[in-house]
Amino acid sequence: MKSFVFSDDQSLVPAIATFARALGDVDIYSSGPASPAIKKYGALKIYIVNDTNLTDSIADLLASRMSKGEYQFGFIASTVNGRDVAGLLASKSNAGSIAEISSFELAGSSTRTKRFFFGGKSILEEESSSRIFTVSPGIVEPREVGTESPVEQVSLSPSRISVLSSEEKKSGGVDIEKAQAIVSIGRGLGNKDKLSAIEPFASAINAVIAGSRPVCLDYHWLSEDRQVGLSGRKVRPKVYIALGISGQIQHIAGMRGSKIVIAVNKDKTAPIFEECDYGIVGDMFDVLPRLLDGMKK
Amino acid sequence: MAYNIIVLIKVIPDLEQIKPDQQGNVSTKNLPLRIETLSENSIEAAVQLREKHGGKVTGIIFGTQESVPIMKKAYAMGVDDGVVITGYPGNDPKYTAAVLSSKIKVMPHDIIVLGNQSADSYTGLLPGLLAGTLGYPLIGNAISIVPADRKVRVKKFLENKNVEVEAPLPAVISVAQEINEPRLPPVMQIMAAGRKQIVTEVASISNKSSIKVLSNTAPKSERRKMIFEKAEEGVPVIVKVLKEELR
Repeated sequence: MKSFVFSDDQSLVPAIATFARALGDVDIYSSGPASPAIKKYGALKIYIVNDTNLTDSIADLLASRMSKGEYQFGFIASTVNGRDVAGLLASKSNAGSIAEISSFELAGSSTRTKRFFFGGKSILEEESSSRIFTVSPGIVEPREVGTESPVEQVSLSPSRISVLSSEEKKSGGVDIEKAQAIVSIGRGLGNKDKLSAIEPFASAINAVIAGSRPVCLDYHWLSEDRQVGLSGRKVRPKVYIALGISGQIQHIAGMRGSKIVIAVNKDKTAPIFEECDYGIVGDMFDVLPRLLDGMKK
Repeated sequence: MAYNIIVLIKVIPDLEQIKPDQQGNVSTKNLPLRIETLSENSIEAAVQLREKHGGKVTGIIFGTQESVPIMKKAYAMGVDDGVVITGYPGNDPKYTAAVLSSKIKVMPHDIIVLGNQSADSYTGLLPGLLAGTLGYPLIGNAISIVPADRKVRVKKFLENKNVEVEAPLPAVISVAQEINEPRLPPVMQIMAAGRKQIVTEVASISNKSSIKVLSNTAPKSERRKMIFEKAEEGVPVIVKVLKEELR
């Protein structure tokens, strides 16, 4: 059995490739240049396409290879371009598709998968003959193998999409998905200037600072790449400290994989207290200095 | 140049009101319905395109009989005409794409607008399935849409960059929440919308979904939930945990 993994973001490849390897052989598709990291996950071949925005041509390529019987399954990182490729591919290859899977097992000739539903309020377990899946981050821990995968450039058929320009987003240069400790702030912070009151504690525990959707996308107190949630990054640190975050279900879905969750919130009834291991009902600006003192002792 | 714009509108239950039963099963029966968040952005984007370039905005809801009143809000926001197709089963975007594309094929259209990922099922597969079925280019997660003659320029909002692309029309364009701030319709428009006709029809294709739902239950929280109302009691406990975990 052979599968392919497609991700326009190479940092998502290791987990998905490790997961797909458990089923059999794997090829990887991404846009280049291939980083040394993605060569370590046991793919038979890494195929590099020149632009992952050409979603129609990529879907054509993968559909033609699937129809020749090269691949039984396709596992696609759930990014904007990944989801577009998955939908186009499912339509072109007339294969069933299941989105955002967090669990996958074979059951005879069918598959059993799990994914969040009702905006994260429930987990939907489905059985189907689907062959194309978009995959949630953190489906397994990445595991390297001892060999290095060969890389091959692959050309695409002409696309109806032309890329006119591309602009990197401003980022804090951090990857919150890799952080061991995260201090995450919500609206309760009040304003951007108060970030300076959070930083000493975050740096004392070597944590990166992340935030909820309003903090990153509406108020721009933090850059977009620091947003935790169903529509943002899905994180799995050892310790996740939620400050002034009420705990909307969309936020919980982005941090559910954390090992320990600590919450500080003024509102005793905030839903975050149902989703934490340790919580303090109180003002973060009163609690944080005390935690910082404690860590220094 | 004027465009025929089709906006796909999803109707969803108020998710915040979902309460699991004692077995953890969840149901959305009897919950109030609303327009899905990104569908509101899609309507706003479609109406803005018409205001600028002329043409017509047609809304399509694939839902149930209960979705019919929701179309009135779309009218109030500026949608010219609306169709509600009933028979929506809920969890198979492939079937949704088949039903919607068969309807779109018999309507005049240049631009098809819909949300990138709905706030309830979150698959994000419908735009691709629809574009694939119709044979049109797909541009995902748009934050600006600028048509010119028979082409469209779109800024895509990706995870690490923004990319501007161009594609020929007709095209399927999915929008991001960042594209606009949906308008709050004035009272006069809401009243006028109530008098407008809404066409309803039953889905023309039968559902041959291969997807079987095994369970749909609330995720179990296995957190300790040790909550302290006094900071002086909680701080030492948390400091100890932090020191152990982050050694």
